[in-house]
Amino acid sequence: MVYNLRIERVESAPQSAISIRALTKRYGRLTAVRDLNLEVEQGEVVGFLGLNGAGKTTTIRVLLDLLRPTSGQAFIFGRDCQKQGLDARSHVGYLPGEMGLYSHLTGREVLEFLAGLNRQSVNKEYRRRLQERLRLPDGDLRRRLREYSTGMKRKLGLIQAFQSDPQLLILDEPTEGLDPVMQESFYELLADVRRRGRTVFMSSHVLSEVERVCDRIALLRRGELVLLSSVEEIRNLAARRVRIIFSEDVAAPMELPREFEIIEIAPRAWSLRIEGPLGVLINRLAGLPVKDLQVEEARLEDVLIRYYREGAE
Amino acid sequence: MKGALILLAHSFKRLRTLVLIMGTVLAVFQIFLILIARSIERSNTFDQMSALIPPFVRQLMGPSFTSFMSFRGIVSLGYFHLAVMGSLIALAIAIATMPASEIEMGYMDLMLVRPIARHWVITRSIAMLLICELFLFAMMMMGTWIGLNLLAQKIAAWPQPDFILLLVLNLGLLLICWGGVALAIGARSRRRGMAGSITGLLALVTFLLDYVARAWQPAEAVAWLSPFKYFNPLELLMGRDIPPHNLWVLAGIGLAGFILAYIFFSRRDI
Repeated sequence: MVYNLRIERVESAPQSAISIRALTKRYGRLTAVRDLNLEVEQGEVVGFLGLNGAGKTTTIRVLLDLLRPTSGQAFIFGRDCQKQGLDARSHVGYLPGEMGLYSHLTGREVLEFLAGLNRQSVNKEYRRRLQERLRLPDGDLRRRLREYSTGMKRKLGLIQAFQSDPQLLILDEPTEGLDPVMQESFYELLADVRRRGRTVFMSSHVLSEVERVCDRIALLRRGELVLLSSVEEIRNLAARRVRIIFSEDVAAPMELPREFEIIEIAPRAWSLRIEGPLGVLINRLAGLPVKDLQVEEARLEDVLIRYYREGAE
Repeated sequence: MKGALILLAHSFKRLRTLVLIMGTVLAVFQIFLILIARSIERSNTFDQMSALIPPFVRQLMGPSFTSFMSFRGIVSLGYFHLAVMGSLIALAIAIATMPASEIEMGYMDLMLVRPIARHWVITRSIAMLLICELFLFAMMMMGTWIGLNLLAQKIAAWPQPDFILLLVLNLGLLLICWGGVALAIGARSRRRGMAGSITGLLALVTFLLDYVARAWQPAEAVAWLSPFKYFNPLELLMGRDIPPHNLWVLAGIGLAGFILAYIFFSRRDI
């Protein structure tokens, strides 16, 4: 009952799930995060990307009040993460990048302990369904953690993060260590919580995963936000590879629009990289003996890797 | 509050085996000392043994030496024996550096991302320190009581319960003192090994300082820096009262350590 009331309160006041304002965090002379501004709306799945050391984990730890910001503020559902940390964190489920666990404890002991620290009680039926979905049966939970594989620990981490069905899930590299089957289960789980209006803020290095599950992407580079956009918009920034097969020999094109980049030209096949809409290409091909047209879907990776490379340079 | 109690219970669960084993060993040690005291008392060889003790040891122990070489002295040794003191201080340091250990492992992340205030982590450690201490003292006194009742009936004058309680109070305050120091250091550290080593080394150095100062006058000027100077079981053995000032100093160091731990832990990055 208390649990439902709490959810209503969060939902009744429409506000960002996460709001980061002019956040800076320095460690001595090193600036890990610089003047970061970011809003994550309720119900969104946002991917938080960046190379190692870009400041992703630092930002997440400030949100969870594990780190104190040098300047700026962070809010979760309108609550200041530092001044109203307890209220803010009562809506959060967190999966750390690395689970620090005492090996002599059983999986069940860890789940019960962490559930007890939450303000809301854990729905046992929901937890059982999580166990089923992630294939971590009661028998495994009775075992000590020293007997757990990396994947099992990850599953346990996911269950502890999701078990109280929090309004906001902050996940650090959630599929790290999971096999492909379990990754699928995790994506289904994510789709399920998203359908129910939960917000997910996840860091990941797996770009295909981000492309698949996220609505928006925030990309950090050396502590600064360099890209914040929807997955669709980013995909539109990417050039598509197009291969045109002709039924008879065709002369090489004399000139092509600026958005066209030639990859390979042969008498019966052209390979091009095209930015923007394909209408111009269709016009150019009018009258030519086109046998087949193969368009490769634009990949998020192509854009993001460009951002990563610029950062590395 | 519910979360804090769960945190406390969970921490006890992790330490219970160690504390139980230690309590049993300490209780057995008390019985063992009573066995030795009974054996010496029966053979009436306390005087002969005194003669075997080297003069410098007598000098170090001062006038308490005579009191120590008695049935009552041997029985009470279990409350200030170096091994007992050392193991209890080590346990106090282990408990007080739990926050550092949890940070080092990453377990603290899982705890503090829940709606748990940071001060509960320190309160938990203090509560554990006090409860474990009380349990171990109860086990030690039970060992003494069992030993005296089963092994030392009518052989010699038993140490009075209030005398044992004063020894326990003195030892308890020494543990609170070192627990406080370890907690303050641990609340700032990222590594338990580092916090434990610093506190352990500090304890060793100050223990040696106190001992050296008893035999070497130049060291006396700085002996007040050692918490062990305020730990006076031999005074009790000689039938004197412990200066209340000494008890307050030990309690004060412990309390200051606890307060500093709260401050350090509330301000630090995890």
